[in-house]
Amino acid sequence: MNALAFAWRSLVRQPARAGLGIAGVAAVAALLFDMLLLSRGLVVSMQDLLDREGFDVRVTATASPPGTGPRLRQASRSAAALMALPEVDEAVPLGLSEVAFDAGGDVGSQQASLFAADTSRRRPWTVVEGRDLAGGGQPTGMVLLNRNLAAELGRRPGDSVTLRAFCGAGRSALPLVSLQVAGIAEFPFDDPTQFSAATTLGDAARACGEENRDEADLLLVASSESAGAENTRAAIQFLLPDLYALTNEEVVARLQQGEFSYFRQISTVLVAVTLGFSLLLITVLLTVSVNQRLGEIAALRALGFSRRRVVADVVCESALMVGIGGALALPLGMALAGWLDRILKVMPGIPAELHFFVFEPRAVVVHVALIVATAVLAALYPMQIVARLPIAATLRNEVVS
Amino acid sequence: MAPNYNSKMIRAAAAALLSLAIALGLGASPERARAAEGPLPDVLVSRQLAEAAGLAVGSSIRLSADPSGGSSREFRVAGVYEPLPDPMRINASKHEARLHLPDLLQMTADPADPLSTETVDAVNIALANPDGAREFAREVRARRPGLIARPAAGGSSEAAVFVVLERFHLAIAIVTIVASTVFLLALTVMLVDERRETVGILRLIGLTTRRVMSQVVVEGLIIATAGALFGLVLGIASEGLVNRYFQWHYDTALIFVRITPDVALRSVAIAVPLGALASVAASWTLLRRSVLFLARR
Repeated sequence: MNALAFAWRSLVRQPARAGLGIAGVAAVAALLFDMLLLSRGLVVSMQDLLDREGFDVRVTATASPPGTGPRLRQASRSAAALMALPEVDEAVPLGLSEVAFDAGGDVGSQQASLFAADTSRRRPWTVVEGRDLAGGGQPTGMVLLNRNLAAELGRRPGDSVTLRAFCGAGRSALPLVSLQVAGIAEFPFDDPTQFSAATTLGDAARACGEENRDEADLLLVASSESAGAENTRAAIQFLLPDLYALTNEEVVARLQQGEFSYFRQISTVLVAVTLGFSLLLITVLLTVSVNQRLGEIAALRALGFSRRRVVADVVCESALMVGIGGALALPLGMALAGWLDRILKVMPGIPAELHFFVFEPRAVVVHVALIVATAVLAALYPMQIVARLPIAATLRNEVVS
Repeated sequence: MAPNYNSKMIRAAAAALLSLAIALGLGASPERARAAEGPLPDVLVSRQLAEAAGLAVGSSIRLSADPSGGSSREFRVAGVYEPLPDPMRINASKHEARLHLPDLLQMTADPADPLSTETVDAVNIALANPDGAREFAREVRARRPGLIARPAAGGSSEAAVFVVLERFHLAIAIVTIVASTVFLLALTVMLVDERRETVGILRLIGLTTRRVMSQVVVEGLIIATAGALFGLVLGIASEGLVNRYFQWHYDTALIFVRITPDVALRSVAIAVPLGALASVAASWTLLRRSVLFLARR
């Protein structure tokens, strides 16, 4: 009988003990797996969200995130200049502002985020009902609402809405503007409770009382098929050195260093704690198990089992316990990740499409590597006990006791 | 009335201006300040900015609202301050400055809009009766449609973030407790099994199952209490280490881990009964067996 089969029988012989040990490993390994998913979950999810829009470079006036820093001046002219680059397939100016819709009745007004964009082939939103905005950024008198806002205002495509824009300092008393609802749209970065709307840059400027204003918060750029995002970014930076161009990867890397770093930190800490915890507990379980079977192991040695063979038995027992527990941890971890994800997604401002725990094959690879390392390390001390076991003295003690 | 909003906006705007000015190399020396005609307006800079830009009290710097650095204005660093620890801005750059409001408005005002020099992002209001904040906010909204007034405390999204994080930490703690309990059970099953003969002899010499069980419970309680206290000491010992690491990492004075008496009590209250229960559960299967089974070799 080989070492693995022998170790299996050792486990099966005491099912309660083995079952509890495996269950403990599975629970700890599930937490470990979840922390591996969390360590890159936001990054992977955000990258997916950004890529889904179809734009792979973002251009702003300064290094500040869009909406928090100075706006891009002469946005349309900059977009036209970028469109002339062979690396650029499309460049769309996008403005961000806050507006208050007249909700009528007791509700009064309803604040919402307003996205203003020159229309293009790619849209930073998806129309789910009605029709999209038309034209090339000129005022059309049309607006798109998200489902939350449409429900709150009780409006459908074809109805009209009245809004007042907040356009920064000095414009607190802007007049009300009426727009017609063209359709209902989904915005990728909306959180489940967010109220959002979209219109053209021309209509947004009209709402701000600045019809001739040509400003945007950022330019969304889609690279041509032959040019990669990095080449496009370099070409933009060369053409417009005063502006800041970032690829989606760079945006995500910035977020990882900043806003997302808390979850990376906590996942690193918990991975370390979980590994230490499981190492300690598996070592204790194996050590106690080996200590209880010292007489049996000494008898096997006396019967002719080599030292290497009994050590291999211990390693196999550790590998079986950790291996089965680790394998069970994958489905358990996925279920647990779903629960934890639902808890975290309640956080205000988190886009509905963003996930904290995202499955990646590399997480499974790292999980397996860590589990194998834990199994080997946990078996070291019991292996040493077995390898140095004095056969005669152990057998004599066994008989005397 | 949103007490932090105004200061945050002004700080953010000022930080953007100042960091831009520094980045553009517009910072000047104390000598320039001394050479300037008339007293320069004062500005306070954060410790982080002072360290990064090599500023000291008395230094003069130029600030501009224009990304290109145009129309800049000279200021004198009157002091260096430690930014108020704010968990919501833990990852934000702490390169910030505080200006007198008229100085900031003078730089940011739109010449074409006479109202812009009279415009602020928010007004902080301290009420004589803080309990009436909600009522006051409602009254302001009713009197001035278009204004947004809200109480600073309660129901804010910032508070909700921490409520969610607390739930997340609680969920992690529950999983850890479940895993520990299973391991503990496995260990106690092994330890109890090891003592099968001892228990058999105790039963043979006349001790009742209840007597042996009470011994197991007391033993479990002692071990669980010792383990919980050890865990508590370990937690308290590592508290400073964790805080120092994160304070260094985020360059903040925030406290990340604080073991309060309530937390300590809750830990002990969970760990001790769980440990004792694990001992009892593991022993129960053994004690149900007959005396002869327990005593036989």
